[in-house]
Amino acid sequence: MSTALVVGAVVVAVAVAVAITPNFLSVDNVRAILRNAAIVGIVAVAMTPITLSGNFISLGTQQSAMAAMVLFIALVGTGWAPAAAIAVVLVALVAVGVIQGLVVAAGLNPVITTLAAGAIIFGVVADATDGQIVRVGEHAVSWGNSTIAGVPLEVLVFLLFTIAVGTFMTKSVSGREMILAGANRETAEVSGISFRRVTIGAFVIFSIGLAIAGVLTGAGFGEATIQSLSTLTIDSLAAILVGGTAITGGYGSPWRSAGGAVLIAVISNVMVLNDFSTGGRLAVQGAVVVVVVILLELLRRRGEVR
Amino acid sequence: MQSLVIDRVRSYALPLLVLIVTWAIIASSTPTFRGEASVFSVLEGFPLLGLIALGLAITIIAGELDLSVGSMAALAGVVAVKAGELGLLGAIGVAVAVGATIGAAQGWIIARLAINSLVLTIGTLILLRGVAHLASDNAPSQLADFTVSDPLIERYSIFSPSSITALVVFAVLGLFLAYTRYGREIYAIGGAREEARAAGVPRSRPMVLAFALSGACAALAGALASLKGGSAAPQNYADMLLAGAAAALIGGISLYGGKGTVIHVALGVAVLSAVAAGLAARGSDASVTQLVTGALLITVVATEFIAARLSRRARLRREAARHELPPTTTAPT
Repeated sequence: MSTALVVGAVVVAVAVAVAITPNFLSVDNVRAILRNAAIVGIVAVAMTPITLSGNFISLGTQQSAMAAMVLFIALVGTGWAPAAAIAVVLVALVAVGVIQGLVVAAGLNPVITTLAAGAIIFGVVADATDGQIVRVGEHAVSWGNSTIAGVPLEVLVFLLFTIAVGTFMTKSVSGREMILAGANRETAEVSGISFRRVTIGAFVIFSIGLAIAGVLTGAGFGEATIQSLSTLTIDSLAAILVGGTAITGGYGSPWRSAGGAVLIAVISNVMVLNDFSTGGRLAVQGAVVVVVVILLELLRRRGEVR
Repeated sequence: MQSLVIDRVRSYALPLLVLIVTWAIIASSTPTFRGEASVFSVLEGFPLLGLIALGLAITIIAGELDLSVGSMAALAGVVAVKAGELGLLGAIGVAVAVGATIGAAQGWIIARLAINSLVLTIGTLILLRGVAHLASDNAPSQLADFTVSDPLIERYSIFSPSSITALVVFAVLGLFLAYTRYGREIYAIGGAREEARAAGVPRSRPMVLAFALSGACAALAGALASLKGGSAAPQNYADMLLAGAAAALIGGISLYGGKGTVIHVALGVAVLSAVAAGLAARGSDASVTQLVTGALLITVVATEFIAARLSRRARLRREAARHELPPTTTAPT
């Protein structure tokens, strides 16, 4: 029922948006919306397995994605081939993610662990870059802002990544184990599912998503600072929550988070086209999260059989 | 009873040790971090970091986490600066009232819906940040009359009016939490919510109170800091969530809820204030402070986790021995 609610909300949002905003349905604007949704969407989709597996959320999202972006640009800027740079970024991010996964799997609170890890990563990157802007210089990535058949690259990646993670979570044994571990940890452990493996797996998916997001934004912008992607943590959490994935785990899907990201991008776009201020946009975005979260909770409770 | 007292004292030992060690390291490596100046700069951490950590700690004790404290402090800063014509106390009063009211509303929603506080406060984190921008017309606000905040700039040896205010709040809330019925209820819902409810602790009151106090503390912190500076930017204090949570947890507030006192919070705040003051005196960047804060946080939380696990294992072994069961260690493994 609440899947219908999310879809319904998107439809209503689009309808209202079109009604009050003349240029909304132009090809350029739709492309802009999807482009805005793509990076947040990739990260939200990637974080969803962490949430589904009962490990709540990561509060170190921005810092890790920013580190991936800075690392990619720094490598490409010093003459590395983009493919090699991508490989290094992936390995580095997955390594950092696995460490966090191990700590969380040992029993430490994931919210606090990722908050601390984010601060450490931020400090390390700030120290390494001296707080300066990192640029690709003359080695700009050729596919940085490319489109394929009119679809921006990051939108295509967003779609493929969502399909991949969505399919993995519902069709693979490992994915279903993650959801079961989040729904009922004791039962999962009794059935022989290793919570450690599940948690590490979720952090690996998350890290891959962060690496992709960092590489895509890095290739697109060609420069980065420690302040890059500064709203990513909050935006991706908002997308997950608006999508309706339960924060305590076991219920939800990457598809919902992708939908949440698109919904928030639509709302933001309408506000931008209608000249809302920063404050107005933030207030509406926050209000949407609060209202949706409360509504979903009420619906979920009504649907519960007791 | 006696073992309870010993447990309590022992729980102060680790944060106290961390404080002594960090203080010693900083004092020996930073010439300006000595005597009165060092104590003054550490106490100056209490009005902003300390109050935010205190409010956050109360929600952790209640078994929840208020992620909106940074946004709340920013909003309260704007409100206080805008309300400057009411005088210093009036401006602070209005800001704290706003914080307490919004906090109480959050607590009520969390209690009534039995919703996870992370979920709601991520929403209010964004919402309150937006409201702060709106209240401030999307630009930094300034005091119309700078003389309003003059009393805040005084200094009495190691104290300032702000740090005295913060310490008084620590003392009052410490007594409230430890010795009043309403305060104990906050511990009860954090330690064992179902049992507390079965024992007659009301559903909403402790939660409303915990979040109202968290909102009020964050608001007081934001108001004091913004009034002292004479201006408030709506994007301020976004990194206070990390610092506040780190201070509370480094001090020894248990993440599992129901445990910890204001003395724990004060110890944690002192550690982080000393670190920040020491790093600032050496001209280090704010990002280094973040790095050290994160590293300290994860080290202390991990140490505590391992210590708890070891002591539980030792207790199980003792109990096994008392029941004359063969100790598990005799069998070669």
